[in-house]
Amino acid sequence: MEIIKIEGMTKRFPVGNGEFTALRNIDLSIAEGEFVGLVGPSGSGKTTLLNIIGSLDTPSEGTTTVINQDVASLSHKQSALLRNIHLGFIFQTYNLLPVYTVYENVEFALLLQNRNATDRKKAVMEALDWVGLTDKIKSKPAMLSGGESQRVAIARAMVKKPKIVLADEPTANLDSENSHHILQTMLQLNEALNTTFIFATHDEKVMKYLKRKISLADGKVISDEIMQLERSSKYESFK
Amino acid sequence: MLAIKLAFKNLMGAGLRTWLNVIVLSFAFVLIIFYNGLMDGWNRQARNDTQDWEIGNGQFWHPTYDKFDPYTIAESHEVISDEIQKLIQENKVTPILIRQITIYPQGRLMSAKLKGIDPNQQILKIPSGDIQNSQNKYAAIIGQGMADASKLKIGDNVLVRWRDKNGTFDALEIEIVSIFKCNVPPVENGTIYMDIEVVQEMTSLQNQATMLITNRDYENTKLEGWEFKDLNFLLAEFDKIIESKKGGGMVLQSILLLLALLAVFDTQVLSIFRRQKEIGTYMALGLSRTKIVGIFTVEGAAHSILAAIVGAIYGIPLFIYLSKVGIYYGNIAKASGLTMAETLYPYYSIKLIISSILIVVISATLVSYLPARKISKMSPNRALKGKIQ
Repeated sequence: MEIIKIEGMTKRFPVGNGEFTALRNIDLSIAEGEFVGLVGPSGSGKTTLLNIIGSLDTPSEGTTTVINQDVASLSHKQSALLRNIHLGFIFQTYNLLPVYTVYENVEFALLLQNRNATDRKKAVMEALDWVGLTDKIKSKPAMLSGGESQRVAIARAMVKKPKIVLADEPTANLDSENSHHILQTMLQLNEALNTTFIFATHDEKVMKYLKRKISLADGKVISDEIMQLERSSKYESFK
Repeated sequence: MLAIKLAFKNLMGAGLRTWLNVIVLSFAFVLIIFYNGLMDGWNRQARNDTQDWEIGNGQFWHPTYDKFDPYTIAESHEVISDEIQKLIQENKVTPILIRQITIYPQGRLMSAKLKGIDPNQQILKIPSGDIQNSQNKYAAIIGQGMADASKLKIGDNVLVRWRDKNGTFDALEIEIVSIFKCNVPPVENGTIYMDIEVVQEMTSLQNQATMLITNRDYENTKLEGWEFKDLNFLLAEFDKIIESKKGGGMVLQSILLLLALLAVFDTQVLSIFRRQKEIGTYMALGLSRTKIVGIFTVEGAAHSILAAIVGAIYGIPLFIYLSKVGIYYGNIAKASGLTMAETLYPYYSIKLIISSILIVVISATLVSYLPARKISKMSPNRALKGKIQ
């Protein structure tokens, strides 16, 4: 089932007196449950594309439909609601809220959905269990390693069981071992919960985990490949 | 609810910067309440003293009498009717006959007022009964202010000159038999009190009075041939002084409050600039811009809530202490010429406390909202990158 559809999408940014075209005439379709990487060098437009899919930005031309909603026509409130209910974000620099504990950071996404306390507690503990951080619930982000911080960010993105998770360079600040753990976790969550994962990355370590690789260069899609992977069923219980 | 919870978490997380703002803001709180409490305490004390010593529950004036115009005194006298005599006997009113006189203490010349007062009156605190302590028919009592100005002491005789009802000058020596202290300058200064019957006889104004002072419980405002002056009229001058004092104090309070609000404003601007990524994260997580503006506004306003709590911690014991022991003003009170006790006891009303809290909280909310409005124009994408200038 198609969850994201992009047709003839172009994105331009004003630069000085002129304009810079970050994405040119993109056509793309992503189905539910895919594990997709947007790969390419810096400046190729992958983060811009991710931001538009995440309704953090709007296209200059063309249409971008995410879960049957045209992101260009959404009001601020509607796009906030789309992100709140259906989208999860994972950032390169984790973007954890520094004054909250691990538990509170993960719980935050559920607070925005006005879920009751019992529900929240169950969901937060489950999400922290997925990423193996149940022993760190009272820690503040400053006390965590990079790998642990990114796992908290994954738990925060996944706790509300969104349809789509958008990850911008999630392994860029991590060493090989932590990158491997993070990607394994995401892959397993993708398989267990059928969540669509979309990465923006130029990290070679990520490539072998992708099921689909969309390569970008100078704002254009230059290739779109289906990758062969070994599957894991370790996290079947997440369902 | 979420905004309040988040705001307090963020404030606590900001550590020292929060507490510096809170402490400065709490000074503003305490100073505003302290100063206005002092003014209210002074006001209450002065109104009570003025009622006790000078005006009772209001005064009936002879229609031509004007306390600000000494030329009206000569003609302002009226016969005390039987109806009024009955009220005097029932202790509901007491008559005062006022005349202008000249005294010659130690050879000097001084203008003064001679007030005839009933030695048996119970309405005013003036110790009029002391007049009867002496065998001398022309016994008089004066306030400490008059004694200081004229250098008169108990037992002194002083020459008094006056005009009778026909305008004829007359003079005799009176004896100072008592000197009293009070906090109401018009009662203490420039006035000599004698038995009203003696003054009536001296001035040939038998059974006449210039004004009638009512008992605190007396509520009738109509007496034929007399004009009733209520407390609002009689205390209007003092009310204006208090208002002007409060106005003067407000300048200092406003400066302190502005400094505190400037600190909150500055913190908010810095906070919004430094926390762009956090704002972007809130947006990415699905918080609407309006809610984020709300969080930051509540966060700024929460400074004032914390300041109220901190202010209460050191302010309440201070206020309780001051309201018990008072603040000693000593000679300043005398020198000011205002109705003011040597020791003022501040009075902190619920109205004062609530209005002060509201002023500070509303001001802090406003200065927090102004910079927070910028968030509503932020692009989530640029906020996440921290690229907003």
